[in-house]
Amino acid sequence: MKQKAVLIAPLIALLLLSGCLPTSILDDVLLVEAEGIDYLGNEKVMGTITMPNYVENPNPGSAGAGLPTTASMLRHLSGVTYDGKSLVDRFQQSGQMPIHVGKIRLMLFNTAMAKKGLYKQIDLRNRDPDSPRDMNFAVVEGSCRKLLTSADYQTQIPVARYIQDMIEQNTEQNYPESTMESFMYAYYGDYMDPFLPIIRKQGDHIAMHGLALFKNDKYVMRLSENRVFTFKMLFQKFNQGVYDYEFAPNKHIALKNVHTDVNYKVKNGNSAAPDIYASVNVSAQVRQSYPKTLSKTTGPGMEKKLNKHMAKEAVQLVRRFQRKQIDPLQLGQHVRSYTRNFDGKSWPERYPNARFHCKVDVTIRQTGISE
Amino acid sequence: MNDKIKPAHQVGPVSAFFIPQTMQIGIGYLSFQHVITKYSQQDAWLAALISGAIILGILWVVLRLLENERQFGMPDLFSIHSRIFGRRIGTFLNLFTVTHILLFTIMFLRSYVEIVHVWVFPQMSTFLFSLIFCSIVWYIVSGGIRTITGVCLLSFIYLMPLSILTLFIVPHAQFANLQPFFDHSPVTLLKSCYKLTHEYLGFELLLYVYPFISHPREARKWAFRSVLTTIYFYTTALILAIVYFSQGEMQNTIWPTVTYWKSVRFPLVEHIDIIAIVLLLWSLVPNICLCSWIIARAVKFTVPKIKMKYSLIVILALIISGTTMIHSGLQVKKINDVYATYGALIIYIYLPILLFCQWIKKKCGRGAAS
Repeated sequence: MKQKAVLIAPLIALLLLSGCLPTSILDDVLLVEAEGIDYLGNEKVMGTITMPNYVENPNPGSAGAGLPTTASMLRHLSGVTYDGKSLVDRFQQSGQMPIHVGKIRLMLFNTAMAKKGLYKQIDLRNRDPDSPRDMNFAVVEGSCRKLLTSADYQTQIPVARYIQDMIEQNTEQNYPESTMESFMYAYYGDYMDPFLPIIRKQGDHIAMHGLALFKNDKYVMRLSENRVFTFKMLFQKFNQGVYDYEFAPNKHIALKNVHTDVNYKVKNGNSAAPDIYASVNVSAQVRQSYPKTLSKTTGPGMEKKLNKHMAKEAVQLVRRFQRKQIDPLQLGQHVRSYTRNFDGKSWPERYPNARFHCKVDVTIRQTGISE
Repeated sequence: MNDKIKPAHQVGPVSAFFIPQTMQIGIGYLSFQHVITKYSQQDAWLAALISGAIILGILWVVLRLLENERQFGMPDLFSIHSRIFGRRIGTFLNLFTVTHILLFTIMFLRSYVEIVHVWVFPQMSTFLFSLIFCSIVWYIVSGGIRTITGVCLLSFIYLMPLSILTLFIVPHAQFANLQPFFDHSPVTLLKSCYKLTHEYLGFELLLYVYPFISHPREARKWAFRSVLTTIYFYTTALILAIVYFSQGEMQNTIWPTVTYWKSVRFPLVEHIDIIAIVLLLWSLVPNICLCSWIIARAVKFTVPKIKMKYSLIVILALIISGTTMIHSGLQVKKINDVYATYGALIIYIYLPILLFCQWIKKKCGRGAAS
């Protein structure tokens, strides 16, 4: 009898406990997939959220995989609120079903918002235990609301997934990694500034459009697409991507990156003008070339030209960052890791004077199957 | 009470590996990086090693105490207390050490509930959860020390996947974060070492379990291996957190391990963090079981008339009420601090003094005999 009581007591308690907690069954909630924030001025923003809309399976024979046939669900909501407001709470009143954050993939800001400063939005995301750290942030040229709510895209999949797929495949190539994880790393870290990709709607599709470089939380500088390769080459190791080199007017050669790695060395890290040495190794294959300019014999000459050109570009790039006093390449972090008793307080004043030296070593592995 | 433990009630020497190991790795594993790196930034892993070395020394003290005691009867802390200091003072000292264990259970249970509140179910009732939990504990502890050791083993096996999860950090690692090596003063390192006490505490529970372990010579080896394993887990967790987070971000993150779990993605399983937190319940079970078993034994030692199965109910009621009385995250933090200071006092100051007293007693005893 006693043993029975012991067994039954926890069961009753379990029943009671499950009764206390609100459930969130996937079919009965609206999972926010993307949030977009457009700045209107005067601390007001236009917020937009999108939810996935599971369209009924067109082939009835293969249905029954348990997919909810809820083509009638809400797809997006937008409205005006103040900067830093959790959009999920803002739109709960217009939710057909409870709105949850669960699996958010994307957070978009328009350029006005990014220029104004994102610190309230970042704090909101960083505080939220639900948002996954592999979600993507991006800056939108134009209106986030239009980008998220347009119905004229060629693809049928929800726009949030479309954008995330696009950003993800690009970060495997020319663009540096820009998930929430890397953004928070640079935003909260000392001696570095974050960056985000810029996207924009072009007719019936969306395209990457360079990088937005931040100073703390404010968007201050745009890096155009053709500089993104150089940026990534200085930022991290990677093994895909295409570099386009115009060696003479209207004569191009395109390198497909096979492998790139970068090493930093720092001298006099605590002096007024530290020396930062970057040495980059690029091994690449030629994808395209101006006819009759490149073969196995002329390869080395082209390599030398490329070495010079890419190093010059890199130095110019860093000089631009120094002038704006931003450090998206995390050079300060490299200086810190090479300097004992690093003087962090005076670093912001010393950074613009730092001397950046870059040495690029390009190896052309192969030039294709024709001579 | 001074009878030898029957071999049928004893556990094998390998238990000396699982028991301290499961006691040491607990809720602190989720958040300790945040606290430790505050003082010695990228050199915090060094503090984990130094602190681990000190803990190995204390473990030696613990085992020495127990081995010296063997010739006089039961090798456990209660017998040591009452033999050296007499019945009355001994009981008082038992109370002193057992209070720490009670604090440990309440701290651990409440910290876990807090994590569940923050990450999974904000609406979960602390009282109902601890009630259900303690009824499970009651069931296990009624099975005796052999069942508890079994649960320790299971906990070790079940928590293995969590340590494998940590490998997903490596692709995101910025190893430059670890440089420059040894760039902090010994004082800051010692501060970090002191903060790490909270994490390494738990091995000293061997003081109560030791008589139940057969083949003590082998068991001693396993005890050292167990602490070495803990040092390995904490040091790797620290290094990986340092290379994964920038220092500013680390200071902003209360539970670095869970925050990191948030970024692990599998094609079909989202939110590994929630799964891992629920799995971590398995580190809670053996901890509370062993601790309440020890407290029940202390009661039995002091008042042999009370049977363990009755005192256990009172103890669990105490744990439940203690857990329910803590309301806010701030109180949880405070009780964690009290627990760590109290524990540091016991292992760093009290145990060496006890060993010294034991030595004095031995000398005096010999003098009287000759």
